[in-house]
Amino acid sequence: MSKEVVLDCFGEACPVPLVKAEKALEKLEINDILIVQIDHSCAMKNVPEWARKQGHNVEIEEIDDGEWEVIIEKVK
Amino acid sequence: MKAFFDKIKQNEFYKMWFKDALPYITGAILLSVFQIVTFATTKNPWGVSGVFANWGAWLYQLIGGSVDNWYYFSSPGAQATLEAGIINHGPTWRNIGIIFGALFATLAASGFKIKKLKSYKQVIAASLGGLLMGYGARIAFGCNIGALFSGISSMSLSGWVFAAFMFVGAIVGSKLLVKYFM
Repeated sequence: MSKEVVLDCFGEACPVPLVKAEKALEKLEINDILIVQIDHSCAMKNVPEWARKQGHNVEIEEIDDGEWEVIIEKVK
Repeated sequence: MKAFFDKIKQNEFYKMWFKDALPYITGAILLSVFQIVTFATTKNPWGVSGVFANWGAWLYQLIGGSVDNWYYFSSPGAQATLEAGIINHGPTWRNIGIIFGALFATLAASGFKIKKLKSYKQVIAASLGGLLMGYGARIAFGCNIGALFSGISSMSLSGWVFAAFMFVGAIVGSKLLVKYFM
């Protein structure tokens, strides 16, 4: 059974969301989902970029003005 | 009205120019072109943080202080700039332009948000970081714009030296951030 973890990074500036996402994803199992909540536009560039480079499935959802969820599915 | 904005949201050129971030390479080219224009028209390389020192001096003068004997402002050029006043200070207007340009960009992308403070640690980290950056930029006679970007683009060796030590500083800063503020 895969689980879903929400990581609240609202109000955090670079590079904190990226470091937190790296640590959180490390703890997850394959097929688990990590949802990173971000309101800092530069983290919107480096978090998805990092996750895609690692080979994970990434989707971005704009949940409100200036608020996004980066949905990362751990594939390996 | 809402239908109009909904239509704009779907427009591919709106997405390309306003909504989505420009690719790094596009940003780099635009910055290069505009810094050349700045250099050519004002005869001075682009700088950002030196302006804040002048703002500080004008603010200090406003409350009755004097910086006439400060080493930093002792050159005739610096004195002339201070005497001419903030209204006649081109770099001040450029910085204001950057602030309003950035505001326009986030508004146009409908990404504007007033962020909440998460903890008092953020206040300490931000204040400490700001002080270190401001102090460092002044004793280095420039920040990552004036010393690094303008330095390297003018073929100055000092820009590369600044770059090397900025990386060292960034590594140390990141380690401290992770250790004490996360």
